[in-house]
Amino acid sequence: MFSTELVVQTFISGTMIGVLYALMALGITFIYSIMRMINWAMGEFYMIGSYLQYALVALLLGPDLWWLAIPISAAGVFLFGLVVQWSLLKPIFRKPPEARDDYATVVTLALLLLLRSLATGLAGPNQFSPGSDLPVVMVGPLPMAGARVAAFVFALVALVLFYLLLRYSWYGLALRATSQSRVGVQTAGIDVLGVDRIAFGIGVALAGLAGALLAPVFLVYPTNGLITTVKGFEIVVIGGLGSIPGALIAGVLLGLIESFGAAFIDSAYQNIYGFALVLLILALKPTGLLGERGREA
Amino acid sequence: MSAPLLAVDDIHAAYQSGVDILQGMSLAVPVGGFVLVIGPNGAGKSTLLKTVFGLLSPHRGGISFDGRAIAGLAPHEIKRLGVSYVPQELNTFPHLTVEENLRVGGWTIRNDAARLRARIARVYEIFPVLAERRRDKAGGLSGGQGRMLSVAREMITEPRLMLVDEPTVGLAPNLAEQVYELLQTARQSIPTTILLVDQNVSDALRHAEDVVMMNLGRVKAAGPVVEFGEARVRELIQECLLG
Repeated sequence: MFSTELVVQTFISGTMIGVLYALMALGITFIYSIMRMINWAMGEFYMIGSYLQYALVALLLGPDLWWLAIPISAAGVFLFGLVVQWSLLKPIFRKPPEARDDYATVVTLALLLLLRSLATGLAGPNQFSPGSDLPVVMVGPLPMAGARVAAFVFALVALVLFYLLLRYSWYGLALRATSQSRVGVQTAGIDVLGVDRIAFGIGVALAGLAGALLAPVFLVYPTNGLITTVKGFEIVVIGGLGSIPGALIAGVLLGLIESFGAAFIDSAYQNIYGFALVLLILALKPTGLLGERGREA
Repeated sequence: MSAPLLAVDDIHAAYQSGVDILQGMSLAVPVGGFVLVIGPNGAGKSTLLKTVFGLLSPHRGGISFDGRAIAGLAPHEIKRLGVSYVPQELNTFPHLTVEENLRVGGWTIRNDAARLRARIARVYEIFPVLAERRRDKAGGLSGGQGRMLSVAREMITEPRLMLVDEPTVGLAPNLAEQVYELLQTARQSIPTTILLVDQNVSDALRHAEDVVMMNLGRVKAAGPVVEFGEARVRELIQECLLG
């Protein structure tokens, strides 16, 4: 039979990567729950986060200050998100809501192509690695790559901050209220387009953070956001669109299924196992584990 | 006569360009007044309120609140001037608690914690049932309590003008009467001015002071409520429907 050690190790590494996938899914589902649109360029914000991390470590801060580069990269993506919302999305959302999500789809798809081409044009099709001189860490009796453990810890901190913001701040209250009724927050005197801007910034910053954290593991190149984005959408389908706890649970679930599939079936098909879970969920509970049957804008 | 609190002057507004719902609508609401807007379906009554609150921009004409031009301002800017809007749909956040709903209602005074606390306490005094259910999710309230929360939420900022859109639609008759009392309570306790749109004409007439009858996006008839007896209203509506 399988050794206990292998099962435990697979469980831990699956949970760790799952939390990082969950960051991505959380970004997608959070933007959707506030703005009722899908940001198809999510992977490109991940990509920008990874490039920022690489550039900061390689050119400016040096490898010892990698931990400082991470929040700076995430903040950079947040600021870029504010600009994108202000320049490209706000004009759409100022009009009455007809076909708003269709326009948003076209705009974010165009942005995806633009950003990928820009990355290729500016940095070439090369793969970069910010490297990691973090030592191997012992998690209990098991050795884990330092970069992965650091990424996991950072992701947990980000999730806790995100939760505290939503739960205990005035802005969190406005964000939760907006996800339930856009007209309702307007009657309360809240600038709904301003809420959109913050929500979009936070959502893409989560993707940028994942990009920065995973840069040493999955490397830095123009289309590196693709796989993580696909996983983000898998998680959103599994967990239920618009559900934040659903994104977290499904993220860890996906990480576990991939790890166990790779360890005990065949690692060549690692990216397939998640799709099997998606199909299963679609057959059994099409709204996802914690999704709602239908939501009105 | 003193200057009106709200003056709507010959406004034209549309959801789609070329199809005007409001076609030269005008009305004036005096300070402290209770103005009722009635009219057949599609007359533009709800659109009038949405346009005053800035959810829709008029492409012609002017709106002034307390002497200040407000046409074209965003809803959150109009709210800050002291205008509240209670839409026809139940205007609560179902997954927030009753208290959180009230706090959202106090968004514009959130930096003054003491004032916000006092206002919420006052609302609880007026509507004890909301105080009892303060920790419950708003989605679990009954229809009448939900309506109460919608109005109470708008009372937190003590607005000078409340725009109220068909507050009794879908409610049982005894609840409907409670809603009108709710509005009267708001009007006297704040005190505020009310512009009410209603299809429930006979009940609403008992509470209003002035009446504006709309048809096809403009005024068909207007005057103090005593001029709008049941027979005259029926006659006017017939004229609207038969052209």
